Amino acid sequence: MPTRITDDAFEYLIARAGLTLTDAEKAELKTVCDGIAAMAERVRKPRGRMAEPALTYGFAEEDL
Amino acid sequence: MSTTIPTIAQAAKQIAAKQLSPVELTQACLERVQALDNRLHAFIRLTEERALAEARAAEAAIMASGPSGPLHGIPIGLKDIVDTKSIATTCQSKLLQDNIPDSDATCAEKLAAAGTVLMGKLTTHEFADGGPSFDLPWPPARNPWNTDHFTAGSSSGTGAAVASGMILCGIGTDTGGSIRGPAALCGIAGLKPTYGLVSRAGVAPAAFSLDHIGPMAWTAEDCAIMLQALAGHDPRDPASANRPIPDYRAALGGGIMGLKIGVIHHFHETDHKVSAGTQHGITAAIATFRELGAEIREVQLSPLQDWVACGSLISIVERAAAYEEWARTRLPDFGERMRSRLMLSAFVSGVDYLQAVRRRRELRAELQAAMAGLDVVLTAVLPGEAPKIDDVPKWDVFQQPSFMMPFNVAGYPAMSVCSGFGAGGLPVAIQLVGKPFQEATVLRIADAFEKATAFRDHRPSFT
Repeated sequence: MPTRITDDAFEYLIARAGLTLTDAEKAELKTVCDGIAAMAERVRKPRGRMAEPALTYGFAEEDL
Repeated sequence: MSTTIPTIAQAAKQIAAKQLSPVELTQACLERVQALDNRLHAFIRLTEERALAEARAAEAAIMASGPSGPLHGIPIGLKDIVDTKSIATTCQSKLLQDNIPDSDATCAEKLAAAGTVLMGKLTTHEFADGGPSFDLPWPPARNPWNTDHFTAGSSSGTGAAVASGMILCGIGTDTGGSIRGPAALCGIAGLKPTYGLVSRAGVAPAAFSLDHIGPMAWTAEDCAIMLQALAGHDPRDPASANRPIPDYRAALGGGIMGLKIGVIHHFHETDHKVSAGTQHGITAAIATFRELGAEIREVQLSPLQDWVACGSLISIVERAAAYEEWARTRLPDFGERMRSRLMLSAFVSGVDYLQAVRRRRELRAELQAAMAGLDVVLTAVLPGEAPKIDDVPKWDVFQQPSFMMPFNVAGYPAMSVCSGFGAGGLPVAIQLVGKPFQEATVLRIADAFEKATAFRDHRPSFT
């Protein structure tokens, strides 16, 4: 599967993550990073700015 | 069922009546390990001396004052991501092959307190992810129904060991299906409880907000017995729920007349079409539930792919956060599959993660609304029978949306129940999903199904 990510962007993201990869690992990773991008698009819905994440929490009695 | 492999319920009854000795039972399990595990690779480490010592102690206590409960003297195994004091806990990884914890995980502690006999530590996928892998210090577990085939994972050793009768029950963990998948492919029962019901303390994380610990055994009744010992509040786990614990076993046997079961047809018929054998198992199970008096309804949820995208993004990021230090400094020491999973995190931004967590709230609300008026929902566990072990795709997360991940995303209790055998003679399963903390209902329906069918009578033939 051809990837939409540029080589420069790919190298930047790998470096930013602090990973040191072989050329073979990079080549394989390029075949799946569009799959990640598709997942990231799929979780975006028109929900407005007020929609809370699942990890929003409140203080319980035992926290006080 | 083979008379040589009792369920926990059967063994407990015989032990209480002093017709079965925990030492004899443990020795029988050890003999099966010696005979089978060179082919199954279910154990990373066998604790034979400890098991015999614990069995002797259990026997002495039972002879003196009777069993303390149904798990007293029962041989068990722990997935090797569960910390065990003074016993190596490796996570099946080169990185931890010499790791000796100085304390027990809460689940190990609770099972020990219930009087179980620890047979050893069980094979997993490295850090409970990826797999099957052939480049780790230990080989992957093999399916006891056909050793050329996969067990699923990551509680692979637990699935193989329970199905083959090397142990009567074991601990599994489940971040996206790691209890239910091996339970399905190995033909046993496996329950992922509600998030927070069973403590995660002392268990290596895969993804903090998706991780669940739960029982794997031959029957739903045995899972109920095990869950009774495992459930309960633990201040060592920040996600631990503080709720009253019902009597799970007492909920069994009352029939399911009038209970309402919703079927998520589109998950397994459209979103990810299952094999003919798995579909037959689902259709026949629905007919059985109708005969038992349950009402069947149809349930519509967001596409399976939405749930899987949400869970996968969360899982990728939380795993990468947990193992970032080693990923940056010792990446080549991970096996290939775990290494690849860790690399994926480079392509998920902070905003991507949080959009997934916002989506999670919406999806959970959707499931809650869909289950109003229902007792459980039903779908597949896996798309078919166990594939060949050397034919498991590395990037299946992008190719085959999981039927199990939705219920890690929601945190709802979900169980794999054997629903027959496919064209290849290997087990297939249905998944029953309950409302939060309604494990008793899930177990009741699973138990009724097992007792109405003959699938619990059939063990892998070589045992």
